[in-house]
Amino acid sequence: MKIALINGSPKAKNSASEQILNTLKNMLSHNNEISEYNFRTCNLQNQDLENLEKCQVLVFAFPLYVDGIPSHLLNCLYELENYFNKNTENKITVYALVNSGFYEGHQNSIALSLMKNWCVKSNLSWGQGIGIGGGGMFSALVGVPDDKGPKKNLYVALKTMAYNITTKNSADNIFISPNFPRFAYKLSAEMGWRQQAKKNKLKSKDLFHKM
Amino acid sequence: MKIIIHDLKEEEFKDLSIIGHDDALIISDDGTIHNCIGCFGCWIKTPGTCVIKDKYQNLGEHFSKCDEIIIISKCLYGGFSFFVKNVMDRSISYNHPYFVIRNEEMHHRRRYNNNIDLSVYFYGDNITESEKQTAEKLIKANSINLDCSVKIIKFLNNIKEINGFMLMEEC
Repeated sequence: MKIALINGSPKAKNSASEQILNTLKNMLSHNNEISEYNFRTCNLQNQDLENLEKCQVLVFAFPLYVDGIPSHLLNCLYELENYFNKNTENKITVYALVNSGFYEGHQNSIALSLMKNWCVKSNLSWGQGIGIGGGGMFSALVGVPDDKGPKKNLYVALKTMAYNITTKNSADNIFISPNFPRFAYKLSAEMGWRQQAKKNKLKSKDLFHKM
Repeated sequence: MKIIIHDLKEEEFKDLSIIGHDDALIISDDGTIHNCIGCFGCWIKTPGTCVIKDKYQNLGEHFSKCDEIIIISKCLYGGFSFFVKNVMDRSISYNHPYFVIRNEEMHHRRRYNNNIDLSVYFYGDNITESEKQTAEKLIKANSINLDCSVKIIKFLNNIKEINGFMLMEEC
């Protein structure tokens, strides 16, 4: 089966979306032809559109931006909608992985609804979504085994999605929070902001600057 | 101060008989806006200002000085159009990077103390029921994150219908 993994993060490297897709890719490698795409800007190449149209499954991974889809990716989706409505006879099933810095995975539910609505407008089938909380910690967890510690809940959810992808099943969305207490996540995230401010030669109080 | 964010062409916006908004700051699409790159520079490098140097880099500051935001947007899949979404994405410096628990969920804490009333007019000739439901949830979620109040959410088949609603609001 031809599966496209589409990273919708605007970041060039080390995005949470990239890490999540890599974990899923390892689960899908056998007997599937996997192609990878990065939608970092607003415009898609014709070759990409033609290749995506030949896939049976599209998997999107992207960060939650203001409760929804990042604007550059929204632009890509609109281009895809127009292309698919003109060209596609192939029945494509869509899966989506949305991560946010908030702890609770269910805060990504609106972005998954937007993706499902896009599928209807584009004449594609909706498969399943995973709403992933605690996306901000993934960059600090490189080297931690995918099925252990704070990443365990994500690993279990991705296993379920991988099975549904290989069978092209549709299923209810899954919402996961880190396998890590919320108060500890909040404290470590805020410490992270202070450390990043310090690297930029700012003091902690500068984070409170008002214009 | 009121802010009106819209994705209409200049002529379309001028044709609307929107009254009572002469002093509003109009944020419209002149084709020069860049998209948010997820760098968080507006929180940890130049707190309160986006690091992308275009005319939209001070949106967080503008939000801090207003008491009402009116959004006029094409409804796309139950959300905003590219331009309006871009404006929302580029405005996150309005919030502080630290977290608070609000409505039993994690959200960003306030940077400023102003209170905002949010009105949203979605337009489009083919808005499905599912898209309307998603849009209503989206605006509620936006209002929780901005810690503001939702005044109006309307769905219009034609943008010209907005005149009647705006006039009623002014009465």
